[in-house]
Amino acid sequence: MLDWFEAAPGRLYVVATLLPLGAFALLLVAGAVKNLCRPARQEGGRASSVYWLLGGDHPLRAGAYLATALMAVSAALAVGGLVWFLRDADQSGHAARWAERVEWVRVGPPAGPHDAPRPAAALELGYRIDHLSAILFAMVTVVGTLIFVFSLGYMADEAGQRVEDHEVDRQTPRPGHFARRGRYGRFFLYLSLFAFSMLNLLIADNLFQVFVGWELVGVCSFFLVGFFYERPSAARAANKAFIVNRVGDAGFLVGIFVAWSALGTLNIEELTRRVRPEANAGTLTRADPGSPAESARPIDRPGSDLLLYPAAAPAHRPGEPARPPEPDGSMPYTLFVLMGLGIFLGCVGKSAQIPLHTWLPDAMEGPTPVSALIHAATMVAAGVYLVGRAFPLFAPEVLLVIAYTGAATLFVSATIALVQTDIKRVLAYSTCSQLGYMMLALGVGGWVAGLLHLVTHAFFKALLFLGSGSVIHGCHHEQDLRKMGGLFGPMKVTALTMLVGVLAISGAPFFSGWYSKDQIIASALGYGLVHKEHVLLFLLPLVGAGLTGFYMFRLWFLAFAGRPRDEHVHHHAHESPRVMTLPLVVLAVFSVGVAWGSPPWDADASYLGHLLHDSEPAAADVPFAEEHHEAHEVHLVAGVAALVVALLGAGLAAAMYWRSVIDPAAIRNHVGGVYAFLRRKWYFDEVYDAAVVNPTVGLAFAAAAADKRPTDGPADAPPRRFDLLTLDGLLTAVGQLADTAGRGLRTVQTGRLRGYVVALALTVVLLLGMLWGLTSQASGGR
Amino acid sequence: MSALGLPPFLVLSAFLFACGVVCVAARRNAIGVLMGVELILNAANLNFVAFARFNPAFRLEGQVFALLVVVLAAAEAAVALAIILNFYNNHATVDVDRADELKG
Repeated sequence: MLDWFEAAPGRLYVVATLLPLGAFALLLVAGAVKNLCRPARQEGGRASSVYWLLGGDHPLRAGAYLATALMAVSAALAVGGLVWFLRDADQSGHAARWAERVEWVRVGPPAGPHDAPRPAAALELGYRIDHLSAILFAMVTVVGTLIFVFSLGYMADEAGQRVEDHEVDRQTPRPGHFARRGRYGRFFLYLSLFAFSMLNLLIADNLFQVFVGWELVGVCSFFLVGFFYERPSAARAANKAFIVNRVGDAGFLVGIFVAWSALGTLNIEELTRRVRPEANAGTLTRADPGSPAESARPIDRPGSDLLLYPAAAPAHRPGEPARPPEPDGSMPYTLFVLMGLGIFLGCVGKSAQIPLHTWLPDAMEGPTPVSALIHAATMVAAGVYLVGRAFPLFAPEVLLVIAYTGAATLFVSATIALVQTDIKRVLAYSTCSQLGYMMLALGVGGWVAGLLHLVTHAFFKALLFLGSGSVIHGCHHEQDLRKMGGLFGPMKVTALTMLVGVLAISGAPFFSGWYSKDQIIASALGYGLVHKEHVLLFLLPLVGAGLTGFYMFRLWFLAFAGRPRDEHVHHHAHESPRVMTLPLVVLAVFSVGVAWGSPPWDADASYLGHLLHDSEPAAADVPFAEEHHEAHEVHLVAGVAALVVALLGAGLAAAMYWRSVIDPAAIRNHVGGVYAFLRRKWYFDEVYDAAVVNPTVGLAFAAAAADKRPTDGPADAPPRRFDLLTLDGLLTAVGQLADTAGRGLRTVQTGRLRGYVVALALTVVLLLGMLWGLTSQASGGR
Repeated sequence: MSALGLPPFLVLSAFLFACGVVCVAARRNAIGVLMGVELILNAANLNFVAFARFNPAFRLEGQVFALLVVVLAAAEAAVALAIILNFYNNHATVDVDRADELKG
């Protein structure tokens, strides 16, 4: 057993990935069996025993504990694997030991070593562990485990035999209260499936496997956003999340198709070698089509084709300087850019970047642990992860698009977050904004900075969301910040841990967020200094840092400080049970210290950052050397500037919502239109409704009307005759035509024998006449 | 006889045929209709024989066909009379206008 792992230690990760899938399968089978036995529950016998054994009328709690336990085992394996990997990483040839691949579906003959390059012919399954995936794997499993534990408490209501959902009553008024059976097991079933999909996405070594995980997390998100699917708002939000993500996925598929057909492989490592051979990884080599390879020129004097190199790893001879291999093909450069844009569009959808960000705030309809795990810490980070993973496949033009998308997102979302009053929506927009930071960092070449922020953000955003969940739980599902206030007294643990999260996200020194955000702003400044025309890429995150400080402290002050604004809410407020506060405390510890290094006051010395640096692709390092150098030079300036701006924001929030020096209402009246503009979220939803949703829905209704069976009375009445304006009518009309013709022709069959004979005789005469006419004409013509 | 030539025979045959058709079309009595049919058949027969006589290439075949038609007419008469008898048993009449059960 141990030998099996020793041969390929990465198998540890495969096992850790499959554990949640096991939990999912067990819960699924148990649920199916229980439902099959349900009709016999009162009758005794075997089926009835099985039913009562599986929890009877209550959801089975053991399933939830099992799922949590398996997730915890997975986390333990992941942490162990991380330690093992870090010890192993110093030795030579470790990459080969931490990667395996098998063929999954073959669609063409295997390519021989001397064949000309051609489209790929097999889908593969495989894993590849490097620093990035090992760290993220550990992060996802640890955060996941904590959120599973938190959910045990948060979803306790669902373990009942009968759950009344008052929100349904509020949204769809009807006589009586809406009640349903509890869905405790189902929740953990979805969470387990999600955990598996996310982990599969992380360890995948090829784009297709990433895509499989990608779609699976998408569908889990759909299930969990729509967990309370009787609420129309939740059902709508689930659809929105799913459909908006499909837009991005279409782009991802285009990217995959291009890689498949033009580059001949989906394996990320091979793709990288195809466009950037190891000896010359920093640049893409371009040439004019038809010109000999010797005339290949570096990127600054581009040809219209991109040269491709063999996918296989070059045979390495010690002592010889690595030489770039001979190119063995080429592809149009625009196609390469298109591939990068397509992959990035997938990431835009998944990571809720402008213009596909609108689904994330609505996804807050799901239970809060879901918001924490999926819509803050892990799934939305998948887009950033993929950008980091596929970084060598992005042309400089695409990277610029990534940077500007990130910058726009971080600014727009931060401004919207300023005025939201729903505690979860503030956090949702702050998530968008932070993801924008990561994208920006990746786009300007700050690969380490962006992915470091991904890890730190996962911890403190999970903390903030779970904290908000604790507040919501304690206030009996009140989410409106305006009705909170003064909760510090009754909810000390929640308040303090959330304060840690707020400080971390605002970038307070020595909190994890400081290290990553500092690096991002420094990278942006470095980039802005080298490329003066892109100075906006530095200004927006700087302003964003101030906005972040403002809206996060506003949230905290509104919820916990000051005087209670709603007696009813405050009166009932209570601290959450320990099963919920414990994950908060653990996450708070991570939020502070996860990025520490030695010495802790040097933002560049973050240990986690150094680990990530080890798997930084050369494509992010070499071409950005100048920017990195600049960033290093101006690090202190950038850090201080970000800190000052964040302090300003936080101070303003304190003055407005804590000390009440400034009256928020006065400012609101003063700026007038701007407030409404932000409150309506920059009118993104309205524009999409007008431009896309309403035409689509209208078209659907028109199609339905055209398709409808054209009757003039009730639905089962006979169809209208010869209705040629609807599709169904058109098809019916064919039948109606045959029917009418038959009815008309039957009258010919009179049954009068003598009539027939006359007709026969007349026909003969007619035919003879015709014959005679024809023959005489023919002879006359001659 | 041979001086007469083919056309008078054909004219006679056509006359007979026309009589038969009129008889079939005009009579309501099934027996009458059957008699009309016999006329039509015999008109055809006359044609065969006439052609056998005046067309050397058709000498043998015409006579064989004529014999065949005679046999056919006998068989037909037997079947038709059987049908008429049955019809009479069921309807107590031999009026063909009453035989309209299969009309559309």
